[in-house]
Amino acid sequence: MKRKEFLGRLIGEVTNFLLEGNPLRLVVSLHQESDGAHISFFDDRPRSEEEIARIYQALNPKQSRPELAEYYGLMAGHDMAWDARLKLIGWQIKHASVDNSDSGLRIDLWLGGDAFNPDNFTLKKKP
Amino acid sequence: MQRNERILYALVTLLISTLAVTGILLEGPWQVIRQTLSLQTESARLINDFTRYGVGTAMFNAATIGALALILVYYATVSLSGPTLSAILTMMGFAFFGNTLLNSTPLIMGVWIASKVARKTFGSYSLIALFGTALGPLVTQIMFHVGLPLGLSIPLALVSGLAAGFILPAVAGAMLALHQGYNLYNVGFSCGFIGLFAANLLIATKKMQPLSIQWSDTFSLPLFLLVPLISLVLLVTAMIVEKPQKSLQGFLAIQKLSGRLPYDFFDTGYYGGTLANIGLLGLLYWAYVLVVGGPINGPVIGGIFTIMAFGGFGKTVKNTLPVLFGVVLSTLLFSKNLNAPGPLLAALFSTTLAPIAGQFGILAGLIAGAVHLVMVEVTASWHGGLDLYNNGFAGGLTASLFIAILQWYKTNRPKEDFTT
Repeated sequence: MKRKEFLGRLIGEVTNFLLEGNPLRLVVSLHQESDGAHISFFDDRPRSEEEIARIYQALNPKQSRPELAEYYGLMAGHDMAWDARLKLIGWQIKHASVDNSDSGLRIDLWLGGDAFNPDNFTLKKKP
Repeated sequence: MQRNERILYALVTLLISTLAVTGILLEGPWQVIRQTLSLQTESARLINDFTRYGVGTAMFNAATIGALALILVYYATVSLSGPTLSAILTMMGFAFFGNTLLNSTPLIMGVWIASKVARKTFGSYSLIALFGTALGPLVTQIMFHVGLPLGLSIPLALVSGLAAGFILPAVAGAMLALHQGYNLYNVGFSCGFIGLFAANLLIATKKMQPLSIQWSDTFSLPLFLLVPLISLVLLVTAMIVEKPQKSLQGFLAIQKLSGRLPYDFFDTGYYGGTLANIGLLGLLYWAYVLVVGGPINGPVIGGIFTIMAFGGFGKTVKNTLPVLFGVVLSTLLFSKNLNAPGPLLAALFSTTLAPIAGQFGILAGLIAGAVHLVMVEVTASWHGGLDLYNNGFAGGLTASLFIAILQWYKTNRPKEDFTT
């Protein structure tokens, strides 16, 4: 998949999800390297711990699902009329983190090819 | 491999072995092998009930297709879960009236070539490859039924199958966007689209015979007992792998899901509940066939297998019933018989539209089912019966229409406009 389309789909789906919360402010930040990318989303709606856990779980599936990622993952970011489905993204990325920032929710996505080098990014080491 | 996946492997292997052994016991090993080889030369276009050649033969053919699918899933290193289980059981169901090893393999190879060209693993395209065998009749129609010498028709058929498989990932991705995951048989929709072009090419060259319905009304005890026995095994397994109360809770929780693609019910954590859902769907639709006086033959078994197949990947008792009743109402409205081949198969396969009922409610499901019957009775002639998942094609058209209208309505609500 071409990188532009891939990024567009991921940004579209997460944006769809955040807009469902009707935020007053929404910021999307992108940092690209040749082997991967880091996208941050910020809004002004803090979420409960339970909501954050649910979002984290959707974005970090327990196991890789290539059969779903490449085929059904094409639906990510395609339609804004229906409910957002973060699991479509979870299958296609390396890692996601979800926290409440000072103002609201912050979602970070890390994605890349097989040569993805996490050292190029501010990706926290897994404990 | 986790425990739950190992259980699924054991259940599918048990089903495949049971079908193979029963087939051999019913007709004897040599007869089954001879008949199964003979099946490979059938055109297999809709509707060709393989039980007419012998119930044991049809069962053995289903076992060979199931084994092929299971081996592919294993070597593609994708997990055996809701989506892959749905593909394996659907293929086995259609091996009772269309799929054979010969007509399935070129399509799978075509998708494999596409995965290499796109620099993806075969596992990434594994679902498309497995469901893509719906176009199997294209291969055998060209190979044995267009009147060309075999020296010419065999390579032509193989190239056609490879080409159809090669373009399938591209078409399947585009078709998903049309209905947004509200038609569960999306590859069937895609195969129907490709089948339109293939059929009209064959019609233009005067190589396509008119469609006919080859339908068995003969009673067979092994076929009659097949679905209830599988369902009982699944229900008992559901009660063993988890406490019965937890399985029941899981089953009830699954009924609340819309079923919109892609929803792997096994991922919800309700393992026993999902197995119970599959088993109960089997019993429910088997009972429906008996109530309306339909025969338990190859295509009907295929229909029930497909419902059970998606019992872990989109279909629940709750979201399928409105669509079924929609088909029943439409059948009665147009003075058709509920046990005639068209309405009976439409009632079973219309459950491809279950996510519409799951998401938008009972009324939407009823209307979708009613519209589906009208469509599905004509769509087979459009693609010349080359797409075995004809209901997936008709369902895709119906779902696309519904979603287009609902999306237009939802995006034009005045109350959400900015104030002036």
